[in-house]
Amino acid sequence: MKAHLACARMEFRVALTYRSSYLSTFVMMLLQIYLLTVVWSAFYDGREEMDGIPLATMTAYATLSTLQYTLVNPWRSSPIEQRVREGKVAVDLLRPIGFPGQMLSGQVGWVSASVPVLLVALPFALLIGAGSAPASVAAGFAYPLALLGALLVSQLLGLLLGMVAFWTLEVSGALMAYRFVAQFFSGALVPLWFMPGPVRAAAQWLPFQATAYTPAAIYLGQAEGTGILAALGVQCAWVVVLGALAALVWSRARQRVLSQGG
Amino acid sequence: MSGVRALRVYLLLAGAAFRAEFQYRGNLFINILGGLFYQGVGLAFIWAVLDRFGQVGGWGLSEIAFLYGLRLTAHGLWLLPGHQLVHIDEVVIEGEYDRYLIRPVSPLVQLLTRRLRLSALGDLAGGAVLLALASARAPVDWSPGAVGFLLLAVMGGALVEGSLQLAASALAFRMKQVAPIKFAIDMIFSDFGNYPLKIFGTAAGFGLTFVFPLAFVAYLPATVLLDREDELAVPVWLGWGAPVAGVLLMYAAYRFWERQTRSYESSGH
Amino acid sequence: MPVIEVADLVKEFRRPKQQHGSFAAVRTLLTREYTVKRAVDGVSFRIEPGEMVGYLGPNGAGKSTTIKMLTGILVPTSGTVQVAGTTPWRDRARNARQIGVVFGQRSQLWWDLPLRESLWLIGRLYDVPADRFAQKQKQFAELLDLGPFLDTPVRQLSLGQRMRGDLAAAMLYDPSILYLDEPTVGLDVVAKERIRTFVGRLNRESGTTVVLTTHDLDDVEELCDRIVLIDHGKVAYDGDVDELKARYAPHRELVVQTDHLEGVEGAEVVRREEGKVWLRFDPSVTPPAELVAAVLARHRVTDLSIVEPELESVIHRIYADRR
Repeated sequence: MKAHLACARMEFRVALTYRSSYLSTFVMMLLQIYLLTVVWSAFYDGREEMDGIPLATMTAYATLSTLQYTLVNPWRSSPIEQRVREGKVAVDLLRPIGFPGQMLSGQVGWVSASVPVLLVALPFALLIGAGSAPASVAAGFAYPLALLGALLVSQLLGLLLGMVAFWTLEVSGALMAYRFVAQFFSGALVPLWFMPGPVRAAAQWLPFQATAYTPAAIYLGQAEGTGILAALGVQCAWVVVLGALAALVWSRARQRVLSQGG
Repeated sequence: MSGVRALRVYLLLAGAAFRAEFQYRGNLFINILGGLFYQGVGLAFIWAVLDRFGQVGGWGLSEIAFLYGLRLTAHGLWLLPGHQLVHIDEVVIEGEYDRYLIRPVSPLVQLLTRRLRLSALGDLAGGAVLLALASARAPVDWSPGAVGFLLLAVMGGALVEGSLQLAASALAFRMKQVAPIKFAIDMIFSDFGNYPLKIFGTAAGFGLTFVFPLAFVAYLPATVLLDREDELAVPVWLGWGAPVAGVLLMYAAYRFWERQTRSYESSGH
Repeated sequence: MPVIEVADLVKEFRRPKQQHGSFAAVRTLLTREYTVKRAVDGVSFRIEPGEMVGYLGPNGAGKSTTIKMLTGILVPTSGTVQVAGTTPWRDRARNARQIGVVFGQRSQLWWDLPLRESLWLIGRLYDVPADRFAQKQKQFAELLDLGPFLDTPVRQLSLGQRMRGDLAAAMLYDPSILYLDEPTVGLDVVAKERIRTFVGRLNRESGTTVVLTTHDLDDVEELCDRIVLIDHGKVAYDGDVDELKARYAPHRELVVQTDHLEGVEGAEVVRREEGKVWLRFDPSVTPPAELVAAVLARHRVTDLSIVEPELESVIHRIYADRR
């Protein structure tokens, strides 16, 4: 655990050394919140609600999902590609902790570099966008769990994606396609409740909604009572499935690295 | 360096980059697909929301699609030659820029041709198809003049987006890491350039016209073509003059780039 | 008329100050303090056409920074550089045509293309006429033995092959000045020798001026008549290689193979090992012939030789003296 912490702290520091990027992440996030708020207001165009969703809930959703997105979906989805490109995987394999564990904790460190930004940005975000208290006490308690679940699912997806680097480094095109599909189906742009029927059905069967829509919907009371438990259960199921998949892919990747020398 | 020579060198180096890229043929295809996918998802978003709400700022699906197609075609047209600016951070931090400075040709041309990413072809093709389909449905009187203006507007839009990306890339010589700034710019263009500007209100509309020149990419030319000048907060001639703005901005951005390159520090002293 | 003229050259780099202690990373992020590092601190020298100069110094002494200002990569903080009548960073493209540059660590060839195509592209970029290009390519292919790998993509070349390719690319357009930055780093003895022979020949036959930075002093001993030593951004020595040895290492050593030797007048025993004795002497006080005669007169000697000081130990002594 200590070793994992060390990995995380190192990547946290690396992420912080790029100070300018840090500050612009902040600006970019606030800008996005502002613009989404305006765009949703324009869509509502004076109507009080749409399909039972009031404008205030929609703007709060946009604010929350944008804040979350910085934390859950950083622009670097995994350190693996970089390690492979620089030929450092062999060194990583010699360390006393498992490679996927190193990469995951490194990525957690990298991601948590945005926590200070989020804390500073939060009051501004509420000012520009729209804040709202958790819809219920249950929602308030369930939200942190859902956020953790979102983080786990997105980390595992990032790990799986990163491990593709063991087979090929030429993945920029596929990666781009993946990012946009994932973003759309995560509900970060359009919440699932506004998606046309078939699209919503697809989104519900994909893992991506667990990374953005689930926590925001729970927080805003769009999932209530047993709905909350069901949503958390779906997240857990995805963590298990993706974890197993990652273990399988890694065992293949490991053999490949050992026989080809990274 | 004269423009003709710059163009000759560009074609020479772009040819080399193409031959290099062709060694990874499977990847080439997947890159184009990646670009097309991006189109599909962007459109899916617009379609999904407009399916519920019908209109935004008084613009219906066919008009928004026209605006979207115009912006996307301009985006693809810029991306095709300009994509490598994405890598400015690593080029500067790792000192690859050294190599460009010791050759008697423009370092910028060398940077732009270091690799060729054909995913931009996907953006361009997807944008052009959408623009063509939307043009047929949008309420525009397609006189030869209007078609000519549309073509100029696409080129102007490409120049506007390119100028901002070039200026942001130039900051890399001092700030070392500008990728997030460029993502932010790209985000503003791609997420918010698809809506009629008037929904943002007067102050923000002014800002998105004169501070961050988003309006010149697609909104202004689309508004005059769709004959919706009434909703413009700026004089109509600014709409018809949008392509000129691209040329002026690109010139300014290039000068800025040239100035900033003097701050280049190379790597490992 | 010197071909390279450097006067009072200064280059400073500014870095955000690294903070230490708790929350160091966050405080580094927020700091507005900068540390200024003077990498090159008032360097002046002149190089005449056809000279081969070794530009030496320990890591971080300012070697690469100077070379980067000479080649037009960096803009100096102050001072002037003139290279064949141009100011490199101001007249970058013109300067680029008259210089060839080889960085040992980093190739300038197109990674994914065959070497032949890299050379062709360089020819086009520098407007080398077709017949001249063909002639040059043939000449270099012979001298550097490029033939076996001309059609191999650069990324598949060995380091030695790649360096030869880089050298050919740098000289294809007949530049009058060649900068070599660690050209033999990581190469085996044969590959090093091939590169040195080629550079020496270029200099003799075409009068190319060569500026060489290296960690391998054999490069310098074999190629350069003159060295410029730099330390902490300042010139520590500028002059003849022989003169440097005479000034900083006036002693010679006489190595005698004998069964027994206690001592000789005019020399000092500095080392004994496996029946050999090292005697250090100053040739201006004790002429070598007298010393040898004195040794031979009193001892049974099976072999003896006089050893010149090595450049490496000389340079180590200079740096030691300055600290």
